[in-house]
Amino acid sequence: MRAQTRNAVAASAVLLALCAVPFLAGKFAIYLTMRIMLLGIFAVGYNLLLGQTGLLSFGHGAFYAAGAYGLGLFGAHVSTHPLLGVAAGVAAAVLVALLIGYLCVRHTEIYFAMLTLACGMMVFSLIWNLREITGGDDGLIGIMRAPVPLFGGIKIPIGTDGQFYFFVLFFFALGVWVVHRIRQSPFGLALAGIRENARRSEFAGVPVRRYRLAVFVLSGAFAGLAGSLEALLESNARPFMAHWTHSAEPVLVSLLGGMSSLAGPLVGGAIYIAMREIIQRFTENWMLWFGIVLLVIILGFRGGVVGTLSALFRKAAAKGEG
Amino acid sequence: MQSYVHVILAGLSSGMFIWLVASGLTLIFGVLGVLNFAHGSFYMLGAYCAFTVLKYLGAGFWAGLLLGPLAVCAAGFVVERFFLRHVYRIALPYQLLLTFAFVLIFDNLVKIVWGGGALSPPSLSFLGGSIPILGRNFPVYNLFIIAVGPTVALLLWALLEKTWYGRIIRASSSDREMAASLGVRVPALFTGVFVFGTWLGALGGGLAVPYVGLLTPGMGETIIIEAFIVAVIGGLGSLKGAFVGALVIGILSAFGTRFFPAFDMALTFILMGGVLLWRPQGLFGATR
Amino acid sequence: MEKKGMNRRQFLKLTGAVPLVAAAGGLGGGLLTPKWVWGAPPKVKGPIRIGYQAVLSGTLAGYGEFHKMGAVMAIEEINAKGGIAGQKVEMDFRDSTLKTDDAIKNARYFVDSWGADFLAGIDSSGQALALAPVMAQLDRVLMVTHGATEKLTEEFVYKKGVRQIFRNCMPTYNDGNAAAFIAKDFPAVKWATVSPKYEYGFTCWKMFQETLTKVKPGVSFIAESWAPFGTTDFRSHINTILDAKPDGLYSTEWAGELISFLKQAKEAGLFDKVKYVMLPVGAAMDVLEGMGKDMPDNIWLSARYYFQYPNNKVNNDWVARFNKRWKHYPAYVSETAYSAIYAYKAAVEKAGSKETKAVIAALEGMEQVCPAGTRVFRKEDHQAIYDVPWGKTKSDPKYPFKVMGDMKVIPANAYFNRPPFEGPGTVPPFK
Repeated sequence: MRAQTRNAVAASAVLLALCAVPFLAGKFAIYLTMRIMLLGIFAVGYNLLLGQTGLLSFGHGAFYAAGAYGLGLFGAHVSTHPLLGVAAGVAAAVLVALLIGYLCVRHTEIYFAMLTLACGMMVFSLIWNLREITGGDDGLIGIMRAPVPLFGGIKIPIGTDGQFYFFVLFFFALGVWVVHRIRQSPFGLALAGIRENARRSEFAGVPVRRYRLAVFVLSGAFAGLAGSLEALLESNARPFMAHWTHSAEPVLVSLLGGMSSLAGPLVGGAIYIAMREIIQRFTENWMLWFGIVLLVIILGFRGGVVGTLSALFRKAAAKGEG
Repeated sequence: MQSYVHVILAGLSSGMFIWLVASGLTLIFGVLGVLNFAHGSFYMLGAYCAFTVLKYLGAGFWAGLLLGPLAVCAAGFVVERFFLRHVYRIALPYQLLLTFAFVLIFDNLVKIVWGGGALSPPSLSFLGGSIPILGRNFPVYNLFIIAVGPTVALLLWALLEKTWYGRIIRASSSDREMAASLGVRVPALFTGVFVFGTWLGALGGGLAVPYVGLLTPGMGETIIIEAFIVAVIGGLGSLKGAFVGALVIGILSAFGTRFFPAFDMALTFILMGGVLLWRPQGLFGATR
Repeated sequence: MEKKGMNRRQFLKLTGAVPLVAAAGGLGGGLLTPKWVWGAPPKVKGPIRIGYQAVLSGTLAGYGEFHKMGAVMAIEEINAKGGIAGQKVEMDFRDSTLKTDDAIKNARYFVDSWGADFLAGIDSSGQALALAPVMAQLDRVLMVTHGATEKLTEEFVYKKGVRQIFRNCMPTYNDGNAAAFIAKDFPAVKWATVSPKYEYGFTCWKMFQETLTKVKPGVSFIAESWAPFGTTDFRSHINTILDAKPDGLYSTEWAGELISFLKQAKEAGLFDKVKYVMLPVGAAMDVLEGMGKDMPDNIWLSARYYFQYPNNKVNNDWVARFNKRWKHYPAYVSETAYSAIYAYKAAVEKAGSKETKAVIAALEGMEQVCPAGTRVFRKEDHQAIYDVPWGKTKSDPKYPFKVMGDMKVIPANAYFNRPPFEGPGTVPPFK
């Protein structure tokens, strides 16, 4: 009970802090926070697949791209309504994830990873080559941020960064809450069981392959959500969103922060973006220093930053009680 | 006819070249169970070290090919002995992340030491030039690569199957604890295998200097993905599989680029996907 | 070769120094930057901050370094002579990488966090296009010094009204249209191409085809082979060309890929079979030096700036000074970077202000004397107009690489697309 209230308090504090950012921080900090939230949505959904179910996919960039291009093309040809656009993006991502997931979930471990990588790169190649539709490597440019129409003719503008921030924050909070509920649900626990021992779960009556597909599609939907939000933020969609190097980002970030907790991928995302920015202010050799920091974290912080910190926390609490 | 022969020759040379790079990766995975993402960096370092010997020490390409990869072994030793060793028992994603960290570090180090600009080696004298095959010129060096590929394959096979060392390596890879209890110093053996795999990768890099004709700080990135694909198609850990996989990929890619250019960017991925869907463990991989 | 080592050490010192100075200036505010006394009280509030981004990592890392050489040299010279409008110039140089979101993030960092007054750089056309709406939002001028797509100026500046974008670098018009004007005098009628498999490659080949068909009816385009970004093995593409047996080969391959392509093509005997070869960016310094004596003779090439043109005092002096400073001949991005900084100097001093609106007005129509010649920034689309040469490769004992002989200069006005960029009379040839 106490842990639950502790977590609820922490989450509320973070939410409050995030709401305060546009009023207290400079423009660049607002932008970076939005990027952290986008990466957070991508990674927290992805970690349902990786941390919770134990499946390593290197193809989720394809769903991110589907979300971005889905929104972009919907906006160009149908309607610039932002919520409908996001829905279109997520729908596109879900469709692609269903197709690819169906092909891939019968495999596991490294072969699953390589197969998803192959599928992701095929999507990348398709986007690059279908120049008439997707704009090729130039991508879709000039995606608009139209106001959000609500009931009674009210339109909420999201044109400026300060306004759009709350649009992103809304989806971020929603997304994190949904993942939290999934992790606690019977479905989520079944996924954890599949991760620990797929065969035993199967014997216990869990439809392993179906659940794997479900969580694959679910994590793909989150990727699509993040992708469509990025398309609105940056006004563009481009093929590299589907490249495997982009697919590696939620992996990196989940490992950094810790795969086993809800907050892990979020913290990892914040660390990744903030650290890169800070290093770049001092040296152009950011790759070198980032690599060194990664080494330190992998060797020193087993279980990621959040995992290690919470273990320390527990030890300290135990010592206190002892 | 001339066209088909040259496409096959092109496919053979690129296939054998990829085999040479993938051999070290496969060996390391087969024995240590580690997927070394930094293998491309050792390839790159091998190329740069060979180039340094060739250009700055004025010793010529063949000296570079001999000495360059040996220098890279030091890097391989450091990586395994002080870093990789700690993550053997840990989940695959952490191994990938660790080796990825080294990719970042080595890429940046190369840029610091040798500069960011592309380095262009002078053309080879011995084994340089081209000979006409069916009326069209084909580089002699590519024929050399086509010959080196199977030679290295044979040597590796002989090493693993016919020598005492080979037997110990095979034993330790299939049952680490048993081998250790029989007196094999497994950690030292693993370091040795890793360094040997590194050397193979660096040798690939050295051989790349006249083959690709250009050195850039990003050259490890593209090659590592191709090597991965070949290793997976062949069945991870199987040297025979990697050899066959490289041949298949090399020739099919050459035909694909020449006659079906619409798919070329994803061709190798499509091929890999196809193989995995048909045989999930790769062509010669172990079934679970 | 030892020269290169010295140059790199100097360069590395600067690599460390420039961002640190910039960072110190940015982070430390007034604490760390010394108070400069420059004479007359400044009308413009200093310091003048320029945010520059170019590719510093991966296979194209050399280009970022070339940009930096030109930019740093310009800033050193300007600051030594009193700065811009009496104010010191500071530069923050970042790795743009090739990813669009990094370029956007850097642009926002420069303007919103570091306080840049002006931006410059950008190698990739795709990044330049994606930055156009962002620059409009940030309301700062971006001087593009490499990215060549004509869509940037025709669509974003002219049609969509993003007045903040300027480009001082030669765009695809030279690669496509001027190449056709040169090619029309060749007896070659069957053309083939090996070009990069992305928008730049597609656009240039299309432009070349369209323009050549108009100026030399009867030509045919019999083969094309597209090499994806990152190709190291061009042999299959070379085989395609050899099978097709064209009279002429056109290729917009550039940088390291062009070097690999040329070496492999030479091995395959391509240059014995195809007599007319056009490389619109073949005269780039990294390609010339990379090929060295192995570069085949009698290849037609051009570049966005070639160090021996124009053969006048301004350019020759500059090349000599550049060589002395960096122990290197200037790449074209070194010249565009150098000239971009000076363009800002001229604009700010002409306008008496560094406000974006005033600087835009000052830059429009501005004539600038640069090492590459006289640049005129066209008012309609903010594209700088200047001339570049085409020539045939030949040996010159003075240089360790092949140089341009038989130089032909087509006036830029004859082949640049014209506003309104749609409809008859807007693409060459012009009556």
